[in-house]
Amino acid sequence: MTSPLKFQIKQASTKTSGAGESARCGTFALSQPASTVPDQQHVKRTIETPGCLMYSQKGAVPHLTPDNLRQQSFGGVNVSLEHILQTDQPGSFSKWPETSPISQFNGYKFTLSEYLRLQDLITFCDLRDYSFAADTFRHPTSPPAKKLASNTDHHTVLSTPKGIRQLTLDGYLKTVRHYRPDVVVAMADTIAETTTPNEKRVRKSVERSLKWLDQILLERNGQDGTIADRRVEEEKKRRRERKEKKRNAAAAAKAAGEQQEHEQKQEQDQVHGEYKKGEEIYIEPIPSEPWTDVGLFVTVGGAHLEESRVWSAQETAKKEGVDGFVIDTLSLSELDKDSRLKHVQTSLAHLPENKPKLLYGLHAPEDVLEAVAMGIDLFDTSYPFQLTEDGKASLYYYGPRPAGQDKSNSNTLRSINLWDDEHGDKFVPILEGCGCYACKDNKHTRAYINHLLKTHEMLATVLLMGHNMYQYSQFFTLVRESIQDGTLQENSVAFGATFGKEPIRTLEKHPNQVIVEAALQKRNQRLDGAEEGVVGVIGMGSAVPSLGAAVGAEDVEMEDGNKSNKKRHESDEAGEDGGSKDEVVEKKVKKAAESSSSPL
Amino acid sequence: MKSALKWDVVAKCGTTKARAAVLTLPHGPVNAPVFMPVGTQGTLKGITPDQIEGLGCQIMLNNTYHLGLRPGQELLDTCGGAHVFQGWNRNLLTDSGGFQMVSLLKLAEITEKGVQFESPHDGSLMLLTPEHSMSLQNSIGADIMMQLDDVVSSLTTGPRVEEAMWRSIRWLDRCIKAHKKPESQNLFAIIQGGLDPALRKQCIEEMVKRDTPGYAIGGLSGGEEKDKFWRVVSQCTDLMPREKPIYCMGVGYAEDLVVCVALGVDMFDCVFPTRTARFGNALTATGTLSLRQAKFKDDFRPIEEGCDCIACKSYTRAYLYTIVTKETVGCHLISIHNTAYQLRLMRQVRESIIEDRFPQFIHKFFKDLFVEKTAYPEWAVNALKSVNVDLIQGEEQP
Repeated sequence: MTSPLKFQIKQASTKTSGAGESARCGTFALSQPASTVPDQQHVKRTIETPGCLMYSQKGAVPHLTPDNLRQQSFGGVNVSLEHILQTDQPGSFSKWPETSPISQFNGYKFTLSEYLRLQDLITFCDLRDYSFAADTFRHPTSPPAKKLASNTDHHTVLSTPKGIRQLTLDGYLKTVRHYRPDVVVAMADTIAETTTPNEKRVRKSVERSLKWLDQILLERNGQDGTIADRRVEEEKKRRRERKEKKRNAAAAAKAAGEQQEHEQKQEQDQVHGEYKKGEEIYIEPIPSEPWTDVGLFVTVGGAHLEESRVWSAQETAKKEGVDGFVIDTLSLSELDKDSRLKHVQTSLAHLPENKPKLLYGLHAPEDVLEAVAMGIDLFDTSYPFQLTEDGKASLYYYGPRPAGQDKSNSNTLRSINLWDDEHGDKFVPILEGCGCYACKDNKHTRAYINHLLKTHEMLATVLLMGHNMYQYSQFFTLVRESIQDGTLQENSVAFGATFGKEPIRTLEKHPNQVIVEAALQKRNQRLDGAEEGVVGVIGMGSAVPSLGAAVGAEDVEMEDGNKSNKKRHESDEAGEDGGSKDEVVEKKVKKAAESSSSPL
Repeated sequence: MKSALKWDVVAKCGTTKARAAVLTLPHGPVNAPVFMPVGTQGTLKGITPDQIEGLGCQIMLNNTYHLGLRPGQELLDTCGGAHVFQGWNRNLLTDSGGFQMVSLLKLAEITEKGVQFESPHDGSLMLLTPEHSMSLQNSIGADIMMQLDDVVSSLTTGPRVEEAMWRSIRWLDRCIKAHKKPESQNLFAIIQGGLDPALRKQCIEEMVKRDTPGYAIGGLSGGEEKDKFWRVVSQCTDLMPREKPIYCMGVGYAEDLVVCVALGVDMFDCVFPTRTARFGNALTATGTLSLRQAKFKDDFRPIEEGCDCIACKSYTRAYLYTIVTKETVGCHLISIHNTAYQLRLMRQVRESIIEDRFPQFIHKFFKDLFVEKTAYPEWAVNALKSVNVDLIQGEEQP
């Protein structure tokens, strides 16, 4: 079977010895990037590796509309089934149109890529949101990711916005067949119910994952991968039916007083009956539709047990038709970073070099450098998203200080927090010379973003996300260049010396954010017939999928007596900011920070 | 009074009082009739300036009260005004800040000096005067600024209405005197007088003498019956100078826009499109879609066929149903769509005036939106009848 994916490793222009030898550059693409119908409009991007898939929630990269999204150079998007699979799916897939109902994409098959407007971006579909599940970037105010019930032999457990859901292999296969993503990750038993699984549980997870993988590989090739499961089901069913029959007959016989006759009949059944214990049941194999056009990545696990990790990697590596590997770290989330990386290394050592590997979590720049040095090729962009939710903007760089970056900008800071008062009057871009749409041409300033945060305006996160994503992609570009010219180790050491480590996310919000949100809550409480689902705040809404979107200043109804005016007088908005009154009138205007610190 | 704008009428409707024009302001031309989206705090609800420009928007609103608070006058002076502050190179219009004062603050009191209120922090008395409003608006630097007026609710009756009318005239004079940048910022007067035709007439006579670059119809802040509302609007457009733009503040819904254009209004603003977007409501020519409703779960059409906004060119209602009010992107997409809808409506209105088929457009518009003639709002039927468009008896011609 020719793979639908192509991964080519580039030769480094200079060889290095020692640490970082396993680092490699490559290109990750579809074998057939251009669709053949109707007019070659969709051409999928290529991902340069080491590189990223863009993290998404509910199928959308946070804060970025399709036009802004495409200003990023990342080549693909990671979509989690648990975010997008609706409660009545796969059943209600029958309601989907065959081809795209969007006129500019007329004629294209309505796959997941079309549905999510990701036609030109590699659509990578995994089951769970591992970054969120692993709490690697939990927002301080959101509850910890739910520990789910354990997966079983028959299903895996997903945490959807509507609640916990079980997905069977059959459901998974139906979904993959319908969605037709560019890459799908095989359903696996990733341990989610505990971060300290015992050996028995770990072995079970590897065993189960391998079994499912075999079935998935058969199905992918158009063979019947679920025949064994169906046989088991049929056996159970027949046993049930037989028991039922026995019960009924006994009841009838008793009623009619024909006990003896009944016992005779039973004996006969044993000999001539439909089912005899131990007998092979014939199950008609169902020819299935192959999906060899869908790339397949497989998760290698084994938790913290070296033996299991080796076993998982070795066995998985033997399988034909696997296009890449996801190194599972979900059950390692409570270990320190070095231990986690050690386990990653164990898995890597038993995987074929010529296939791409993806790693979730461990996405702060210095972590990426360590993982890259081991040979990881793909990451995701949950790090820039995390920064954005905190109101932060990246300033770090990799390698020599880039031209145009002002020395006086204290660039030894990894990031700045735009909530800080000090930015309130800084009419400079986040980063001089940065090419993102926030900074380019000095269009948006630190002062403006500070203002947007304090007025709870959503444009803040749009600008921050654009910047942070851009900076992350720049970082990867420079890392790739370093691998090529042999300076990876040297630059990574310098990076660590300059920028240190990512500070641990505290469970506290920025004091300014607390004030703004308190005022907002107060205003929302006063809303007449407040519509549900829209109360939310920057930073919270996105970390917990089910919370509402951020809401701005206009959701305030006017005070006293003007309720009937609310529809009409919409030019002059009632922004119920309290202490504000002082500011307008006084000749000496207080700083924005102070005004927002005095809610009505 | 010195004017920093040009008003060129390019076509007049042969049936109604509508006209199509080009309003040339310091930051570029604006096609009228025009709908101005409201970017209260120096931003239009998560939409970038590039995106707003991409929608064809040529002018939007900022709110003086809010910008005066944050970022504040000093910061605006430092950076050179609101255009620079928010990265918006086209036109801006600011209101006076007075309305928020009056509507928000329990303790506001209007005196001759200005709007007086008690600071909630220390009880000290603070004042928003015409002079200070001008100063703030000068710092913001909008291409059009509004006088500080003495606003009374249209439901108010009695001598207060007349008092407010005369005071607004006096404050207009103070505003004109205090306005420091007439060469780059256009001050508009706001006609008051409540629902009283005599007062309105008087106000117009007086304010016209002051010869401001443009005029607004104020004091129709809702609560009054629509049937009274349109009569005031129509009277004003009859009496106001036709060689200047006329702005009806706070209007409005799609049908309000169409009717008021027919009555001779040129400029509008309303928060409704962007506000309702945040609740997941998308505006279309055939009505509003509440995309949060489960009925859209399996609706695989774009919001509006034929709309060229990024939401309609990308996604189905079924997908939007899963993200509206839950992901910020959902909110941005609907906000963009609703703004596109309003701007497109005005563009279509304008084209139909230029091609002298505005009455036919009106018929079609109402039919698409309300379907049955029995559902047509009575006030709209009356208003249009007064300008020779009979929605009920008349026929929509091809």
